[in-house]
Amino acid sequence: MRRALLSLLLFCSLLGSLRAGQQTVVLVVRADSSVTDLDSIAVRKLFLGLPVLINGKPLHAVRNRADPQLDEIFLQQIVAMSQSAYDRQVLIGLNRQGWIRPAEVTAQTRALEILYDDPNAVTFMWLRDVAHDPRVRVIRVLWSD
Amino acid sequence: MRVSRLLIGLLLLAAPLARGDPLQTEFLLLPSAEAVGTFNRDAPVTQIEDEVLKADMLLSLQKGKFKLFGEYLLSDHEGDLERFQLGWQFSDDTVIWIGRYHQPSSVWNHDHHHGQYLQTSISRPDIDEWEDLGGVLPQHFTGMLIESSRAVLDGWRLRTAFAGGIAPHVTAEGLDPFDLVHPSSDRLTMGYQARASLHPNEFTESGVGILFADDQLAQVGTPSPAQVGFNHADLRLLGVFGTYAADNWKVQGTLYHADARLYYASSTVNDNFDVGYIQAERRFPYDLTGFLRWEDSIGASDSQYLKLFEEFARIRYIGGVRWDFAKRQALTLQLGSTHTLNGHFDDVRLQWSAAFF
Repeated sequence: MRRALLSLLLFCSLLGSLRAGQQTVVLVVRADSSVTDLDSIAVRKLFLGLPVLINGKPLHAVRNRADPQLDEIFLQQIVAMSQSAYDRQVLIGLNRQGWIRPAEVTAQTRALEILYDDPNAVTFMWLRDVAHDPRVRVIRVLWSD
Repeated sequence: MRVSRLLIGLLLLAAPLARGDPLQTEFLLLPSAEAVGTFNRDAPVTQIEDEVLKADMLLSLQKGKFKLFGEYLLSDHEGDLERFQLGWQFSDDTVIWIGRYHQPSSVWNHDHHHGQYLQTSISRPDIDEWEDLGGVLPQHFTGMLIESSRAVLDGWRLRTAFAGGIAPHVTAEGLDPFDLVHPSSDRLTMGYQARASLHPNEFTESGVGILFADDQLAQVGTPSPAQVGFNHADLRLLGVFGTYAADNWKVQGTLYHADARLYYASSTVNDNFDVGYIQAERRFPYDLTGFLRWEDSIGASDSQYLKLFEEFARIRYIGGVRWDFAKRQALTLQLGSTHTLNGHFDDVRLQWSAAFF
């Protein structure tokens, strides 16, 4: 019941964002993914390459670098660090624990292809690009102007 | 080769358990080149190679909850499989490894491993030096390592690591770890280590902790003059450590207390000594970082255990500057002054280091 209520609230706020013409970046998964929600700490961990498991399955982060503004939002809102600090964190994680850095894509279509193929993939996109795509599901608003 | 084949076999057996998960791979190359000059030298041995070219290679393969992780160091002096671990990601916060690992009671080596680019100073504290470079504490073990991080108190994290595995031998050339590529069953002994630390949040390096190790070290081969009659040692370590990491400052230090019981052919010697270091780093404009480190010891000059190796630096001061002049490339200049068990020397080092994905 609580989950349904939260989904309804998320849906209403997304609908509002679209109608108001706002720019919104959302966290998305494949429509049938078992991921229903990720808090901001889990999202940060995921995009720093740390393991995040849902139902015993590790999630796979995909960094969407399709446009420079998405990159800026990624650094400011998701991992909260500069590009050089992010590079260093990823290097440290690999050196210490063998953590694998998130896959990086420079085209929106490639991000969607990965999402369609992998139920454990998680990426972020402009809401306007995925709002009408039934094959993906929005699980969180990351940024809105 | 048998152990490495076993690990690869286990990964293949585990692969069906991760069916449906994509295979993810990551390769990292950490090359470095270093030149060293010594002066004011009256120590017979300095542990120092004049020029060193290194390529540290890391490979991580992950499929579902299973991963295979290896580190191979190739230099103009050696080629060695430093780490080779098969891991199972038990949960978000816990991973269980089997294979050859860096023992967790060395905080410095856990933080930096072999990659020169990821440590600010060129040299590491002598108490944490690698075995084949004259190190006095065992660093490479083959067995099991469990690493974990869990939430405690109000948002704080408790990070722990426990390990147990086959310990290095004591030889005339120093400590000699179990070799995965050419394994020997000669006098295998075990060592156990633990580390626990508290951190104010999930993502910070700042924190304080304690460490423990109990290692059995057997003598193998023709002994050096200092090792005549020596059979094995039971080495126990207790330690505390702390790190403060801010935007422009980083300070880290460790203090070890060592108790060693040395078993000779006809006698037993009890020995203890204390060793510690503190390093401060400060970032400046133009991608410059200055650093200072003070290493010191109590009871090292009289330690029977340390005399097995003779090259230990009982006091060392270093200082230097690092310049990150390009993306993932740095130049570092370091000056050092070292008092070993047998003398003194100063040194100047220049290093280029880099990281390439």
